[in-house]
Amino acid sequence: MRLSRWATFGPALLLMLVLGVLPLANLFYTSFHTVTWAAGKATFTPAGIGNYLALPADPLLRAGFFNTIVFAVGAVGGQMVLGFGLALLCSRVTRGRVLYRAVFILPILIPGIVIGAIWKLMLNFDFGLVNQITDLVGMDPRNWLGDRQTALASVIAVDIWHWTPFCFLLLLAGLESLPQDPYEAAKIDGASWWQELRYITLPLMAPAILVTFAFRLVIAFKVFDEIYLLTGGGPVTATEVLSFTLFQRLFTEDREGYGSAMAVAIIFLCSLLLVVAVSVGRRSERAA
Amino acid sequence: MSRLWPRLFTHAALIAVGAIILVPVIWVVTAGFRTQISLLTGQFLFAPVLANFTEVLFSKTSDFLVNYRNSMIVGSASTVLCLTVATLAAWSLARLGWPRWVVHVFLGWALLFQMLPPLALAGAWYTLSRAVGLDNSFVGLILAHTVLNLPMALWLMGVFVREVPLELEEAARIDGASTFTVLRHIVLPLVAPGLAACAILTFVFSWNEFAVALNLTMKQTATVPVAIAKFAQDFEIRYTQMAAAAGLSILPALVLLLIGQRFIVRGLTQGAVK
Amino acid sequence: MTSKRITRRQTVAGMTAAAGALGLPMIGAAQGKVSPITIVVNQSPWFDSFRKTVEAYEKESGNKVELDVNPFAGSLEKQRNSVRAAKGQYDVLIMNSGWFAEMYFGGFVEALSDIDPGFKLDKDIFTLNDTVYFDPVKKTMTPSGKLMSMPISPLIPVLYYRGDLYKQTGLKAPDTFAELEDNAKKLNKPPRMYGIVQRGARGPATVSFDFYPYLYGFGGSLFKDQAAGDYTVTLNSELGRTALDYYIRLAKEAGHPKTAAMDQADLIQNMVTGKTAHVMMVISAWSQMDDPNKSAVVGKVDFAPTPHAPGHSTAPGLGHWLGGVARNVPDERKRGAVEFLRWYQTKAAQMVTAEAGGIPVSAAIYREPLAQEPRFRWMKAIAESLPHAVSTMNFPEASEVIPILELGLNQAIAGETNSVAALNSMADQIHAVMAKYKYNTGVLPKLK
Repeated sequence: MRLSRWATFGPALLLMLVLGVLPLANLFYTSFHTVTWAAGKATFTPAGIGNYLALPADPLLRAGFFNTIVFAVGAVGGQMVLGFGLALLCSRVTRGRVLYRAVFILPILIPGIVIGAIWKLMLNFDFGLVNQITDLVGMDPRNWLGDRQTALASVIAVDIWHWTPFCFLLLLAGLESLPQDPYEAAKIDGASWWQELRYITLPLMAPAILVTFAFRLVIAFKVFDEIYLLTGGGPVTATEVLSFTLFQRLFTEDREGYGSAMAVAIIFLCSLLLVVAVSVGRRSERAA
Repeated sequence: MSRLWPRLFTHAALIAVGAIILVPVIWVVTAGFRTQISLLTGQFLFAPVLANFTEVLFSKTSDFLVNYRNSMIVGSASTVLCLTVATLAAWSLARLGWPRWVVHVFLGWALLFQMLPPLALAGAWYTLSRAVGLDNSFVGLILAHTVLNLPMALWLMGVFVREVPLELEEAARIDGASTFTVLRHIVLPLVAPGLAACAILTFVFSWNEFAVALNLTMKQTATVPVAIAKFAQDFEIRYTQMAAAAGLSILPALVLLLIGQRFIVRGLTQGAVK
Repeated sequence: MTSKRITRRQTVAGMTAAAGALGLPMIGAAQGKVSPITIVVNQSPWFDSFRKTVEAYEKESGNKVELDVNPFAGSLEKQRNSVRAAKGQYDVLIMNSGWFAEMYFGGFVEALSDIDPGFKLDKDIFTLNDTVYFDPVKKTMTPSGKLMSMPISPLIPVLYYRGDLYKQTGLKAPDTFAELEDNAKKLNKPPRMYGIVQRGARGPATVSFDFYPYLYGFGGSLFKDQAAGDYTVTLNSELGRTALDYYIRLAKEAGHPKTAAMDQADLIQNMVTGKTAHVMMVISAWSQMDDPNKSAVVGKVDFAPTPHAPGHSTAPGLGHWLGGVARNVPDERKRGAVEFLRWYQTKAAQMVTAEAGGIPVSAAIYREPLAQEPRFRWMKAIAESLPHAVSTMNFPEASEVIPILELGLNQAIAGETNSVAALNSMADQIHAVMAKYKYNTGVLPKLK
């Protein structure tokens, strides 16, 4: 028994320790130093918590924090609702389910850079497809990505388009794995589809929904490809998000110590948010 | 109330959403057959050209076929490895009596790890792989992708593994089944739909991953996203060639999906038989 | 990222071609067969010409060159990884203007004259505001420093304008900013045609790069005297204000309504679809203008140096590429690298580059009959501009200054702040960065 425990758990543990703990420890260590390079060698100068103290004063970070929250809630919220709705609808039909599933999956198959480049073209003020369509229905052309009011919303819309398949796929798999007995019993009792949804589907799907939501949220906090190509954080700071700020500070500006501190701080904040979200979820699960 | 109404509505809604999803995808795929000027002027009808595909596949500066092969190798290997490790570990944590704190800490750590931007890890992994001489082989990238997707796979398989009724496993054990037999004959068939879904996602994530692939590969081992990124150059974006490359890159995942569909359906009927 | 000590790496056995130094009048007799080298370069419009040049080198000298081609996004990351390791993967680094200072200051590239004391820069090579030199003690870039790198691709902005429309309206190519404003206004017929489209978006080096020709062309500058190591911030001078006010006025009265969101791709799009009469854009987009697959204005675009104010010269900002030799590679590969760079500067090599559509770094090519051909009509503008090209920031922490400029300029162009407030704010922030890194710096009194 002992052997099978370690044989099954061991590989995962090993991988996570070697390839996971080391980079994180390195990041943590670097965050307390300033790094300079001369004659091809690096010098680590201790900086105490100086890097962390400098974080709140960073204008990009302040904007990034707010935007990321709006982005995460808006995008992930939208994807979860849409994904779940689509999964529900899809699980009810038998004809064409394979076709629908194949179509709905498509956006996630496209690499992030391509999505950014293509949507940038489609949302283009002068030549874009979106403005061509709005023109057909008589609306004025809008600078979707260049206008402060619409920039973040446009990026969120692109993200919803990109990631709803993720939620859809997982929630559909979850729905398809549900036991049929409770549904049969409910049918005999004459329950409506709303009651079915509220009292059987949702509670049974709760773990799947929670995990999908948690992971989607975590991935949303890392959103980078789309912002990089669509808006570069602009106009001004309307679409500046945390991981983009991190990319600029850590890589473009090569501030290893400060950037590492930023990375650690972001992780810490995210985990706080997640703990809150999960405990809220757990409490409602218990109440159900 | 007639059954037709809700069914019609369901199909109408699905078709409407399908259209919204399809239009940009078709746009991307057809863009590969256009000239750049036709794309930029937003022409609706256009005369298709194959120049982009020939440029992407056969030009002197392009290693696209090699990159394609590399992505297949890395994607398949990391998916198989990741799912194997994740399913075993998830089942182990759920059923083999680990203390609660171990389960919570490990899963929590996995989730935390998922939050790190891959770019922040890539540098450390590069140094590691150079230190052991793996920097120009597939092994480094395969391991990196496995680790990147492991948290998600762990959590997801955790959900699906818990849906397998405990009684079935216990019954099998009473009959004297070994751990391996329980896994292979009871757990595996029942988590098949989830496994298939997870496999598709893991493969796609690995296939589309850019930041780490860029750092850990060189010319001979570069993957498809690295090749596609070359079309986004410092002063222009070669949209039509990028679209052609993107169109080609969707194919394997699409094929995988169509195969995986049948797997999922089979898993369903199996579950019903129980 | 700490650099770890590693075991002796297996070097890939390169094919050493048979010794065949065939008729190389420019190269010394001792050279011929050298170690194979690896060059790291990025995929770009000029890459094709670079590749053909490399192939010509291989053919002529019999030496083997491996090209590692990367996307631009990530080029810096790959080069950094290589130079910071104990043993580098790349022998020749093609460095962008955005990071060559980091490589010089960090000691990651070795001076060409240190590897080969006899190395001389050909007199016809443009030194690109002396960025090929570096004094490791004074940390300045002047001819008295060591020769660190070879210019590979001298990318600067030029003025692209619709020659056909000029002919129709009887205009002549603008020399001064006032003339540009006039011409742009005359040809401005929105929304069908814009007088000019400027690159005002916030990006990795977007609006700042667009602004440099204006700033320096009016006689302003970012710093007082980089060559002397004086980094007093002079952005918020009266000249700076004139430049920024002009930029904004030009955008309002003859430019694109959404200038603050315009990026390089938008500029090219507008030009090739015939929607704008002028753009100031980097020269490497020239080949798109005459490609029928990419342009609707084939043969209609002409080129001129970026305008200037009376009394000052044209001053395009450098977005160039330099070739340096990595320090952390074996000596025989360094020698092989220097050999390639020595060959690259010869007239024969530069001719290959030019004929393949690249931008030569040797003045000799611009004197050739080739430069008179219609398809190379941009060469005249480049030859005039290159001697005046400006390298705005010759220090590694430029990567911290650029975001300040990007944000500040973008805000001013978007109308969220006025030019005086923007300039003062940027100057203060830049001064703070320079002071943090202990440069000899100061700041001007605030603009009123």
